[in-house]
Amino acid sequence: MGMLDQAFDAVIIGAGHNGMALGAYLAKSGWSVAILERRTEEGGGLCTEEVTEPNYLHNLHANYHSLFGICPVYDDLELLNNGVEYIHPAVQMGSIFADGSAMTIHTDMAKTAASFARFSQKDADTWMRLWDEVSGYLDLMVRTLMYAPPIALKDLTRALASWGVEDKSEFLTARLRSMSVVEFLDKHFENDRIKAMLAFHAAICGYQPHVRGLAVSYPVLLGKIANWHVCKGGSHRLAHALMRVVVKAGGRVFPQVPVTKIVVENGRAVGVMTPDGFVKANRLVASSVDVHQTFQTLLDQEVVPAQTLKDVAEVKYQEASLFNVHLAMNGLPRYKAAAFDPDIDRAWILNIGFERLADFEEEFSLVRAGKLPKVPRINAAVNSIYDPTDAPAGKATGLLRIFAPFALEDGGAEGWNKAARAYGQACVDRWLAEMVEEDQRQLVRRFATETPLEISQKIINYRFGDWMVGQIHPKNLLEQRPTKELAEYRTPIQGLYLCGASQHPHGYITFAPGYNALGIIAEDLGLDKWWEQV
Amino acid sequence: MSQTEHDVIIIGGGHHGLTAAAYLARAGVDVCILEGRHEWGGALYTAEVTAPGFCHNIHANFMEFLHVMPFFQDFDLPSLGARTIYPEIQAGIAFKDGRPPVLIYRNDMIEETAKSFAVYSKHDAETWRDLKTKANQLELIVSAALYTPPLKWNQGETPPSPLLPAHNLFSLFGLDEEMAFKSVRDCIDECFESDEVRALLYRVAIEFAAPSLEWPGSGYFFLFACLVMPGCWRMMVGGTHRLNGAMVTACIKSGATMRESSRVRRILMEGGRAAGVELVDGKRLMARKAVVSAIGLKDTFLKLLGEEHLSPYARRRTKNFKDGPDQVLGSVAMALHEPPKYKSAKWDPGIDRAWYQVVGYDSAKDVLDYCRAGHCDRIPELPAAAVWINSLWDATQAPAGKHNLTGWYFFPRASALTEAEWEEVRETYNEKFLTLYGEFAPNMTRDNVIADYLHTPLDQHRGMRMREGDFGHGAMSLDQMMGLRPFAGASHYGTEVPGLYLAGSCTHPGGGVTAACGYNAVKVLCEDLGLPQSVWQNPARFY
Repeated sequence: MGMLDQAFDAVIIGAGHNGMALGAYLAKSGWSVAILERRTEEGGGLCTEEVTEPNYLHNLHANYHSLFGICPVYDDLELLNNGVEYIHPAVQMGSIFADGSAMTIHTDMAKTAASFARFSQKDADTWMRLWDEVSGYLDLMVRTLMYAPPIALKDLTRALASWGVEDKSEFLTARLRSMSVVEFLDKHFENDRIKAMLAFHAAICGYQPHVRGLAVSYPVLLGKIANWHVCKGGSHRLAHALMRVVVKAGGRVFPQVPVTKIVVENGRAVGVMTPDGFVKANRLVASSVDVHQTFQTLLDQEVVPAQTLKDVAEVKYQEASLFNVHLAMNGLPRYKAAAFDPDIDRAWILNIGFERLADFEEEFSLVRAGKLPKVPRINAAVNSIYDPTDAPAGKATGLLRIFAPFALEDGGAEGWNKAARAYGQACVDRWLAEMVEEDQRQLVRRFATETPLEISQKIINYRFGDWMVGQIHPKNLLEQRPTKELAEYRTPIQGLYLCGASQHPHGYITFAPGYNALGIIAEDLGLDKWWEQV
Repeated sequence: MSQTEHDVIIIGGGHHGLTAAAYLARAGVDVCILEGRHEWGGALYTAEVTAPGFCHNIHANFMEFLHVMPFFQDFDLPSLGARTIYPEIQAGIAFKDGRPPVLIYRNDMIEETAKSFAVYSKHDAETWRDLKTKANQLELIVSAALYTPPLKWNQGETPPSPLLPAHNLFSLFGLDEEMAFKSVRDCIDECFESDEVRALLYRVAIEFAAPSLEWPGSGYFFLFACLVMPGCWRMMVGGTHRLNGAMVTACIKSGATMRESSRVRRILMEGGRAAGVELVDGKRLMARKAVVSAIGLKDTFLKLLGEEHLSPYARRRTKNFKDGPDQVLGSVAMALHEPPKYKSAKWDPGIDRAWYQVVGYDSAKDVLDYCRAGHCDRIPELPAAAVWINSLWDATQAPAGKHNLTGWYFFPRASALTEAEWEEVRETYNEKFLTLYGEFAPNMTRDNVIADYLHTPLDQHRGMRMREGDFGHGAMSLDQMMGLRPFAGASHYGTEVPGLYLAGSCTHPGGGVTAACGYNAVKVLCEDLGLPQSVWQNPARFY
């Protein structure tokens, strides 16, 4: 029998972590499941490749796993027993400033406060107060805001008001919903660098610090600031583990089988077309790809209500993509700033270049104008500090990222093909300038660049290079993501569900869109839940 | 990793290791397979090394044995995602002046090949018709030879002689048995008279990790590489790595525990037995019944086990096991706007649709000189190659309307050049190739190339742990074949170390995607572990 000439209970489009998690739960429920992936590898953003040299493992997309220990999927699917190993870096992130000083955020929050206190004792105290507050209800918050279908913001506000928590908590204040991260930080903190460090953390989570309304997510962000994990051996290993769970439960993952069409009969999704022919779906089709592909490419336009198409056409993507520089290095970096704070040499993620909140505004307005800063502002990650297996013995890998426009002022998106090498070199030079002198010449063996255009070509869900698969903006979050009609993971097509990062809450390795779609599917189809839905 | 003890631990998740894991797990054995890299499948390796969406098979590309491979049949790998394409025109050579190409068609299209050979020589056409017909008839015998362990040899007995089966094979082809003593080149020259046909066959002969074309005593390789294999070549839909995907799925389904990114640092000995392994991160995994190494011979015995555990004989034979034919692979990859259009296509458009296209050689001597360069530790002056453009058959391997070219140069072994010299090759050789290419196919200009990539033997050595870049995992000359592979005392997959088995390409039948080393090791393991033969037996097959 051929691989696809049988019917499956569920056909899932896209073998990213959301599609595979949904497939795994359904397969473990006794359903027959086929997960079809257009790329050569399963995993979507869980993509690890040796792009510089053999044995140097580079995470091309997902690198930070910040929901391990919080997200219920890890336990439900027993991912740790299926070969995933996580490392929790003791020094999570840091900043190196132009004057040679440095700041570090540790898993040990007392050490974080001590680092902050070198810049402002008052801010260090504020930090600890906020941290303690958020620690008290983070679980509740994450579970209601992430691992459940979206709640309308106004309902949330109303609930908070009626509970009377408004004046008891700095975080549960309704005012947050109209504030930007920058305003929140300005309100609470006094020191520019501490503010820059915290805004950097928000920015690399996809939250542009100046966008009004995003402060509402800040408690969740802050609560996870010390929960960033390295997936040992590369992020792709999580994809391997997911595949093992799916296959053990009787499901199948088929890479390199692109879905060309979702077949709808009498208003119901009955299967998909592939280059190998029709694949029948007895119960449902779930799409984990972006809504533009789902509704504009894969569905016949006649079967979709006009209003749905209109709303989908208006879904927006992040203004800032990323320009990535992957480094093969002769050893671990040793920064000059270690003279100020020796812990900086152990910081996994690094901010080099954002010194004050205004820098973010400048950075993102450059992005909007299609420009690149002359001196790159870098967010760096050196996984090898904590996972030496990602490079040959004694060597190291590194990742430099820049917030970058998809289309350059000069030459549009294709302009990247010309600009990449030189800008990559500029990033490497900026990075090396922070090293102790004897390392500056010989630290970097080789580098490979990855432009926003290439990101969008490799993983076509990342339209315009948007790894969040949809703008992080109040208009495209919660019950409005991706549109009001589609926010509940259902579609106007019966039997067609949405389970990818286009949905609430957003991209990143959260598993939440897949998990939330699962809850809806279980409800709609009367599935006996063997797991405890949070 | 919760479980720390298993019945069997397999080192190496290339296709031989996966084969052994799948069969043993299906038999109810508690198997754990460990892979050092982050990805499974070893040389079943496909990556987007040029540009997004362009899939390149940097290592294995031709699948010659799928139709006879037990693993493929017994686990119904097509249903698990291993789909194949069987291109009609298997191989072809184009010429600079645009004279007619020479083409080799599939096994079931002998007449078409003969017709192409006849353009240059009626004699060669007739020879092909005769020898290829016989090769097809001998398929079962060849398969049985691949998928059967060599006889066990005991110290003190006369060493097994691979020459005897080689003699027999020549006589089955109706050729003089003494040709087994000759070189591949001599055999080709003796059977075929046309320079164009010889050029194609010389190049075809080296693709399968052949010994040097001019080493005497390699005649058997002529039968194998020139007569049996071209015509069997199948392509994996989606790239070679999809065969790995199906094999991995078979292993998981069968219940094997699989751990990638788990490089073994050493094999643990207890009471004179191989009792487990220690990983580079210090974790220990114990094996109740066996440790099976599906990686290279020297890595297994000298690095992981330690020579102190070997007898002087095994130590001597291991150290003197020969790596590489001294002409090893450098892989070239190019993302193209359009596929090459050869001048020679005006005589026979088939060359543009040949799966494997030999380009850059204008005579048989060009191919010889090219190979000699590798043997003299030199980069060939003539930047020629053989390439395939899989997207011509399989649109999923490149973005819509675009094409993925991948090909093989033959270079000297990895240690012949310094790292800096290899860098220089990486930076310059594709450009030289492209310039030469344009003389054979005028549309192959820089403008047609979206991005390109070169994988050196040093990369193969480091990445795939193919010593010196030797994709055969040990020279496949007659002195290291069959009962002598890797050496007489270890050719039966069991070793002199109790509990330690070999299942990699350093054992019979050697390199290539056969899944035979793993399968044969399973046969021996079944015997030693008291498992029934039904673990591997299939009534539809006698091997």
